[in-house]
Amino acid sequence: MVLIIGVVGGVLSGLLGVGGGVVMVPLLALWAGLGQREAHAISLAAIVPISLAGVAVYAWADEIAYAEAAALAVGAIAGSQIGARLLVRVDERSLKIGFGVFLLIVAASVALSP
Amino acid sequence: MNGAALLVLCVGAGVLTGILSGLLGVGGGTFTVPFLVLVAGFGQHAAEATSLLVVLPTAVAGSLLLHRRGVGDLRLGLRLGLLGSAGGAGGALLALALPGTVLRITFAVFMAIVGLRLLVDAVRDRPAARG
Repeated sequence: MVLIIGVVGGVLSGLLGVGGGVVMVPLLALWAGLGQREAHAISLAAIVPISLAGVAVYAWADEIAYAEAAALAVGAIAGSQIGARLLVRVDERSLKIGFGVFLLIVAASVALSP
Repeated sequence: MNGAALLVLCVGAGVLTGILSGLLGVGGGTFTVPFLVLVAGFGQHAAEATSLLVVLPTAVAGSLLLHRRGVGDLRLGLRLGLLGSAGGAGGALLALALPGTVLRITFAVFMAIVGLRLLVDAVRDRPAARG
């Protein structure tokens, strides 16, 4: 089960340019039966090696905008400390609702863009 | 938008990305990819490539904090990720071979399905399993 979740997460990560968490979190929570909080934390750790592999391929293809990536990363590293602290506290059902709403908003914004 | 203004905007978008990443256990690509496409005017391939480079240090920083707080299982997560990394390289190669529009639609449909599934699950209100 862990093998399938890892590979599916990885393929979608490279394909869609995301960490793979959008698929690993639901699979870990809904299929592997982990708590929502636990699923979020494990997914985040799994993203590290997965994104490393994707970055290597995109760097080879010379598609990365390094200045923008560095600026985003500076903010994101600071933000991750806030987010992770929140994850330690928030209740499971709110996490699930928050995650679901988040995905729908992003899906709509991407689908409706010109 | 000029280069400097865009970089300042990137830092701000980065903070939001990081909060979402640490809280939701995602890399933040679900936010940075649309941001780079819609706001910064990147093509889909460049946006996905740049996003992944942001995802990497963000996930490291978030994971280290959660590990220190005793939330999650860092070793299990890394093992899961190692299995996934082969898939990650394959997926990136596949993405480079596909047109940007196909990628964008795939991305949107995929997330709408997962989002609805989670909301339905939360509304059913199964007793919350504590992690």
